[in-house]
Amino acid sequence: MNCESVSKLIPLYFYGELPPEEEDRLEQHLDTCADCARQAESQRALSAALDRREMQPSAALLAECRHDLMRAVYRHEGPVLRSARPAVSRPFVETLTAWLPSLGPWRMPLGASALLALGFVAARVTTPGAAGPFNLASLTPDVISAVRSVQPAHNSSQPGEVQIVLDETRRRVVSGQLNDSNIQRLILAAAHDENNAGVRWESVDLLNSHSDSSQVRELLLNRVAEDPNPGVRLKALDGLKTYAGDPEVRKVLAQVLTHDDNSGVRIAAVDALTAHADDNMVGFLQSVVEKEDNTYVRRRCVKALQDMNASIGTF
Amino acid sequence: MAQDAPGAVGARLSPKLDEASLIRAVQRGDQDAFEQLVRAYDQSVLRLAVNLLRSQEDARDVFQEAFLRVYRSIDSFRFDCSFHTWLYRIVTNICLDYLRKRKVRKEEPAVVDTPEGPLDRMNDFQEEAAHADPERNMWNRQLGQRIEGALGGLTPRERMVFELRHYQGLRLRNIGEILGTSEEAAKNCLFRATQKMRAVLGDFQ
Repeated sequence: MNCESVSKLIPLYFYGELPPEEEDRLEQHLDTCADCARQAESQRALSAALDRREMQPSAALLAECRHDLMRAVYRHEGPVLRSARPAVSRPFVETLTAWLPSLGPWRMPLGASALLALGFVAARVTTPGAAGPFNLASLTPDVISAVRSVQPAHNSSQPGEVQIVLDETRRRVVSGQLNDSNIQRLILAAAHDENNAGVRWESVDLLNSHSDSSQVRELLLNRVAEDPNPGVRLKALDGLKTYAGDPEVRKVLAQVLTHDDNSGVRIAAVDALTAHADDNMVGFLQSVVEKEDNTYVRRRCVKALQDMNASIGTF
Repeated sequence: MAQDAPGAVGARLSPKLDEASLIRAVQRGDQDAFEQLVRAYDQSVLRLAVNLLRSQEDARDVFQEAFLRVYRSIDSFRFDCSFHTWLYRIVTNICLDYLRKRKVRKEEPAVVDTPEGPLDRMNDFQEEAAHADPERNMWNRQLGQRIEGALGGLTPRERMVFELRHYQGLRLRNIGEILGTSEEAAKNCLFRATQKMRAVLGDFQ
């Protein structure tokens, strides 16, 4: 072993990457060669200097990263995204598929039934021919047919004649301003469409910009507490953030924080709740700290309690 | 004298939890399992990104991009390497892209000038408590700047190998596997990195 080869091996020796026999030979060389021993010492000093510059990310940074990640996952990413999806309106379909992982082949029929439901609602709120709030020129009929039955025509005089029964659904495109009360009624109805989480999500998303209306706020509170789909609940929570100081909203947020089984939704709820200091929440936050599984949620509650100079635990 | 840096990555899963079952659950779409999997590795990933990029903002972006990429592509994980290696391939690729982009637009200094005087962008990180001795403080500051300079003189790949070996405590064989290269190439990279740094930091040690 000469000085040149030892010089190359010193970093590996220092990091314990040499086989035992090579390590022995190198140590024997270092015992007899002052130059190489100095190099080994220089390597050790370098390492010590670098150790002092190691940065440990703060717990707060880690918590923020986790929070941002899970929000991104719960909002836009879903396991279904990984499988093939039809090439239609991307944000809508991403949301829809993200939150409907188990529907599989039923998605299309359910989508159709949602359109049908919307059609009925539209028919109720519009009067054909009347000069209503809608732009009637934009109502574009589109008939969707499905074959119900096919059979020989028994009563026909013509031999070989067949009878086909078609179910027809009339599709209408309705356009109008979101502040139009009829449009709002349509969207409020769509936000309750139990068969289609995508339509509910889109509706809640649109209504969020009108959360100053008490009717819309009531709907958002209902969706936060009742919607079976976490994506819709999360979206409704977004719309309520501005009103997180309102006692009625806080009551629902507290309920979500203790009862929602989805950690992403609980994270959003705790963010909204703790954004407003509220001494009345001390006992509630303490109980959340005690029972909550999610570290981020617990940490936010602890931080809020500390900010209020309250104790973390109950005695 | 030989040492192995502490804190080798991963292995933060509760022993009763089988990582493979957790991964399969994520592949089936279980978001709670994903969160659990993230928790097992996220501290090391963030530490790697922070130390490598010396920027909280970039480290946050890398964290999010890496784990979202894991989430989106976990279906393609076939258990033909450890999950740790697979995850670190993703993380190191993203970090290398950041480092390469920076090389093009010049390294962002950790200390930036502001109207209120020089500001260390890394002040938010938990470092050793400042020494009371002002002379010692000055020496530490100069050493810190010299180290930044030395690290900045490495190629992105040398920087990555050094980071993974020195701070993350990974074996060179594993580093080679992560970076898609041989153990020998990782050794050479580590050698070049330490030589360059010893040259820059010689009189400070």
